[in-house]
Amino acid sequence: MAEVHVIGQIMGATGFSESSLFCKWGIHTGAAWKLLSGVREGQTQVDTPQIGDMAYWSHPIDLHFATKGLQGWPRLHLQVWSQDSFGRCQLAGYGFCHVPSSPGTHQLDCPTWRPLGSWREQLARAFVGGGPQLLRGDAIYSGADRYRLHTAAGGTVHLELGLLLRHFDRYGVEC
Amino acid sequence: MAAAGPSVFLLMVNGQVESAQFPEYDDLYCKYCFVYGQDWAPTAQMVKETALPPAAQRGEGHGSPELGHWPSLSSSQGLEEGISQITSKSQDARRALVWNFPIDVTFKSTNPYGWPQIVLSVYGPDVFGNDVVRGYGAVHVPFSPGRHKKTIPMFVPESVSKLQKFTSWFMGRRPEYTDPKVVAQGEGREVTRVRSQGFVTLLFNVVTKDMRKLGYDTGPPDTQGVSGPSTPQGLPR
Repeated sequence: MAEVHVIGQIMGATGFSESSLFCKWGIHTGAAWKLLSGVREGQTQVDTPQIGDMAYWSHPIDLHFATKGLQGWPRLHLQVWSQDSFGRCQLAGYGFCHVPSSPGTHQLDCPTWRPLGSWREQLARAFVGGGPQLLRGDAIYSGADRYRLHTAAGGTVHLELGLLLRHFDRYGVEC
Repeated sequence: MAAAGPSVFLLMVNGQVESAQFPEYDDLYCKYCFVYGQDWAPTAQMVKETALPPAAQRGEGHGSPELGHWPSLSSSQGLEEGISQITSKSQDARRALVWNFPIDVTFKSTNPYGWPQIVLSVYGPDVFGNDVVRGYGAVHVPFSPGRHKKTIPMFVPESVSKLQKFTSWFMGRRPEYTDPKVVAQGEGREVTRVRSQGFVTLLFNVVTKDMRKLGYDTGPPDTQGVSGPSTPQGLPR
């Protein structure tokens, strides 16, 4: 079986209007993939930047997959939330990106979006906070029901992921 | 009978903790250590506390290290952890904080899971003279052979309540991690609040042995054209 190691960090995020941000992340794979070591999902710390506007998390990702097929290449999905001084959390953006498919180190910039509600909900969000959220997380990384959504752009999440592949040349896979 | 292939690969890392940028703080020193998974082991014997500068250097202001305690390390020994000198900002316009602190370690492993990370902790004096933490940071050692320059953000844990912030400032006992290796892990971070307040620049040279024979493909060697150690250039983004 071929093996894939994903080793890197969720470095941080820029471009969000709120400043104390954290990120919940997860990896979704197809049926042919099996996670041998590592945690499939997690949540970063809450960072309030003192210099500049980039929130830094430096959250390590270390995953070891074994796979029997190329379908269902891993996808990393992210939810960026902001936390205010009272401890309330508000959604800042959803985003996803595929784990790179060529070996080596890659810098990734993942754009995010958040659902807009009706004009009443947008007004309430501006004053009181809150706002609509997705009921099921899989709309973040699948295209199935996206046509129902009306969204606005959030900021960008920056990742540095390194990919180590094993035995892919034995099976004739070029990447 | 054909000779069995290697079952272990080696990772040799050398380089330096080059410099730091902390706009608000001065007189800093840093400690580094490596955190790695269960399948990894450093190959050279770790040199114990007697070889490091005396711990009394911490919190004693600007006393110069006693030169008699410095060990004569041969270059074949790898150090898994170290404490640097105390550095002050230069008087010129750059206001640079330079350590130029060497890193030299070799690991052996059977599995890339648990790839080593270097964890840095930076400390400095506060206004009352106590030694407080100014930042923690961690990054994976790069895995493609070659020369790499990494600038990592440094953050400190902070408490939420204003009263606790004032008390910790006044008493000189800031929130810190009991074990800096927590910074290299992902689990348990969801309950921490931090403040990022500086950067540290590291240079790595990486050499691996037998990874290709074991079937691993680490991608193209990094040819970023990194020139020699440089002074801090300002913020990375």
